Amino acid sequence: MAQHTPGKPLPEISDLTRPFWAAAKNRKLVMQKCKHCGTLNFYPKPWCIECGDRGLEWVEVKPRGTIYSHTVAHTVMMNFPAWKDDLPVVLCIIELDDGPRMYGQLTGCPPEKVHIGMQVEAYFEDISEEAAIPKFRPA
Amino acid sequence: MRGKVAIVGYGRTPYSRAKPGEHLPTIDEYLAWAADLALRKAGMSKNEFDNQGLGVAHAEASHTVNWSAAVAEGLGISPKILLRGDQGGATAAALLVRAAALIHAGVVDRVLVLGADTPCTIPSVAPGLPLSPERTRGVFWDFQGPFGVMGANGQFALVQTRYMHQYPITRERLSNALGKIAVATRYHASLNPGAIYRQPFTVQEYLASRLLSDPVRLLDCVPLVNGGLAYIVTSVETARKITDRPVYLLGFGEVNNYYHGSRTRPDITMTGFAQAAPDAFRMAGVQHKDIDIFEPYDDYPMIVLIQMEDYGFCKKGEGAQFVAERNLTCQGDFPISTDGGQLSGGQPGGAIGGFMPLIEAVTQLRGEAGERQVKGAAVAAASGFGGMTYARNNRSCVTLILGSEA
Repeated sequence: MAQHTPGKPLPEISDLTRPFWAAAKNRKLVMQKCKHCGTLNFYPKPWCIECGDRGLEWVEVKPRGTIYSHTVAHTVMMNFPAWKDDLPVVLCIIELDDGPRMYGQLTGCPPEKVHIGMQVEAYFEDISEEAAIPKFRPA
Repeated sequence: MRGKVAIVGYGRTPYSRAKPGEHLPTIDEYLAWAADLALRKAGMSKNEFDNQGLGVAHAEASHTVNWSAAVAEGLGISPKILLRGDQGGATAAALLVRAAALIHAGVVDRVLVLGADTPCTIPSVAPGLPLSPERTRGVFWDFQGPFGVMGANGQFALVQTRYMHQYPITRERLSNALGKIAVATRYHASLNPGAIYRQPFTVQEYLASRLLSDPVRLLDCVPLVNGGLAYIVTSVETARKITDRPVYLLGFGEVNNYYHGSRTRPDITMTGFAQAAPDAFRMAGVQHKDIDIFEPYDDYPMIVLIQMEDYGFCKKGEGAQFVAERNLTCQGDFPISTDGGQLSGGQPGGAIGGFMPLIEAVTQLRGEAGERQVKGAAVAAASGFGGMTYARNNRSCVTLILGSEA
């Protein structure tokens, strides 16, 4: 079981996922691209979910996208104290301009102004010595 | 396989919210308790499952790696075949499909299927949120936790927001429909002594309940409980010797990890029931109008509404109108969640709540539902619905068509 910290949950970084966290630390958004069929994918997978090819390479993607869906969370499950301090938080599914969708927190926008189709850009926030996460704000 | 196996016994233990001072049975005790109820109902002994089948649902409180074998050890049963289900809320229905195939193939004649969980008594950082491996490893921990999307409220809220965007429905009309579903489940819970929340409420009270993850409200959310459930499935020949009220498996459909559209950009308002339900109807040779009772997987009203659409009871996007036009109670023209569902009845862990639609359908088809009995119920549709994928909808969908006649 992962170590439980009093802040926000921290990922258990593996060789599979390390490139994502390391790139985010360098303010870059990277995802896996299939060398065979070109499909871009997120979250990290062991092979291409379209064609099954294990030849995946990490490529930089444009840190821009649109909101596919959103919710304003007044409670965050598992009640990590650090999340409690941030409430309410706007949580989104972001559809990146380059293809894949990902979860992301939206900041810099009043909750009532958030809407599907809104253009957003990623920025990065350090969460540990090894990792940063992308968050999003209106583009 | 239509009509080749039947359910001959079932059991559901009392549920507990593990309040201070209560006696707290362990998961092992709940499994034995549920099995005992099912065996008594069928008039069978546990020893009749030696050299037969035992199915066990994975639970958050499972405490060994080879869980189904450990459960057999605890119960002193020596099965020929062990089945372990790990499809979350689809497990109970999926295990029935597996058991039916084994019985049909002649490998075994009968299977005892068990599920129990004690989410309220596992170490937890928040009430009812056990720190089990599925919540502290893998994609949930690594790519949801740090991003704040840490559970069903948020994930279903994202589905619901997208739904309101894609279909011509106002937030108000959808909320009223979801409220009506929640009110119907609570009404049924008021008729079921086994339900955990039994005080009826109104649509207005539903609408006034606080937003947890907008648009998901407090009264949209399933309460976790400790508890156990079980059923017994046998060949038709054996079933007819055991009981004069066998409940036959007429049809099933199942799909796991369904994508509606592309794998990277699917439509998340659609579930695998769009495929599983037509398969089940076709196999059973029944149409929508033949369904006397619908027991959806009902941990959130929005998921109930989506099932009504994806089963084809109404068109996509018209679920709210369908709900508005129908009477969802056990006296009505479209009875749903007649035991109070998980929403008011309680969910004995994310994986075990899936026994409830199946077992309530069997209870109704045997005419054993007491005050909440749907008169003349002969054919039921019941769902299993398990797990949530990353940024999509759910992982596993199983549709069962059950009937009192083969």
